Amino acid sequence: MTPTHFTISSAFLLGMMGLAFHRTHLLSALLCLEAMMLALFIALSLWSLQLDATGCSTAPMLMLAFSACEASAGLALLVATARTHGTDHMQALNLLQC
Amino acid sequence: MNPFILSILLLSLGLGTTLTFASSHWLLAWMGLEISTLAIIPLMSQHHHPRAVEATTKYFITQAAAAALILFASTTNAWITGQWDINFDLHFFPASMLTMALALKMGLAPVHFWLPEVLQGLDLTTGLILSTWQKLAPFILMCQIMPVNSSLITFLGVTSTLVGGWGGLNQTQLRKILAYSSIAHLGWMILVMQFNQQLALLALIIYIPMTFSTFMIFKTNSSTTVNTLAASWAKTPALTAITPMILLSLGGLPPLSGFMPKWMILQELTKQDIPLTASIAALSALLSLYFYLRVSYAMTLTISPNNLNATTPWRLQTTASTLPLAISATISAMLLPLAPATLALLSL
Repeated sequence: MTPTHFTISSAFLLGMMGLAFHRTHLLSALLCLEAMMLALFIALSLWSLQLDATGCSTAPMLMLAFSACEASAGLALLVATARTHGTDHMQALNLLQC
Repeated sequence: MNPFILSILLLSLGLGTTLTFASSHWLLAWMGLEISTLAIIPLMSQHHHPRAVEATTKYFITQAAAAALILFASTTNAWITGQWDINFDLHFFPASMLTMALALKMGLAPVHFWLPEVLQGLDLTTGLILSTWQKLAPFILMCQIMPVNSSLITFLGVTSTLVGGWGGLNQTQLRKILAYSSIAHLGWMILVMQFNQQLALLALIIYIPMTFSTFMIFKTNSSTTVNTLAASWAKTPALTAITPMILLSLGGLPPLSGFMPKWMILQELTKQDIPLTASIAALSALLSLYFYLRVSYAMTLTISPNNLNATTPWRLQTTASTLPLAISATISAMLLPLAPATLALLSL
């Protein structure tokens, strides 16, 4: 595994761990999601260097567009949660258990 | 909801799944999954009820994480093998990551924990879309990346059937029961997917009308708990008589059509020389059958003059069309004699 590949993979996995083990705030989960998307963006951008070809240079932009849409949807849900539950604490999201 | 917005969202939902079906590049498949996730988010939270918003948030977080993991696995595969094409075999490590990510997308055990809660927070129509349409795109991707005879896939399948059976036993809320039913059925599909993708497709094709029928029945009765279902004999006596057939078809009893996929899957598993897995799956179907039987008992076998656990409802004429329910109920109860034709359609 090249150093580049290792760095990108560890950045993604650290973001994933942050998303999986977020404890208090919904906002920190969304931030970790953004970190994961950023790691993937860097990976796709460096892919064309890997191949020494420019054919796939648009892929990072497409991915970034979708990631931005996703982030805005997440933020809208954060606002909706703050409106209905009063807070973005994860403990407040307990209405649906058995 | 505003009809223009509703049509945009539903068409985007269709676009997302179609894009994933039609793609041969992993990035395009990921985009299709993202589009369908983004399109269903407003549908889920349209009522702005706290439960709906909470369900939407939980759904969004899990689906976004799963989609990011799918893209990461395909990027890793591209770095290792130089290939973005879905048709080419994956390297082992990205393949396992992709399988787990798709399992998280679909709601297979052991990553199923979001599904009962999310389904509980939705109204019945959106829950129907979530249970049927949203399963198609990850299912197709899963079909295309299948290795042969992998222990991870068998583990996912057996765990899903067991969790779907045991988890549903303690539920009185109908949407949670349907969530665990979905987990169990997906477990059966995954079990056979590594050996014969057409049989998994058959299981999905039979599962969709059955789930559609149950959701429509619950919608007609406007009931979301087992107790309120007990009053349906007063509202729709014909439907009260038909519902046990649908529920037992979900449970996989012959001579109803739900038996067809289970029978074919057990036959295929036996042919592949794994009778132990087949026995465990068949026994776990008993667990699911128990709670289907409980719902049908509460609905059909507790009619007057027994006491009801629910308040008697107003007996209003329903203005919604019952044609879709009629068609799907017929399919989900009476398709077994046409089994050879159905199997031939899927070129088995």
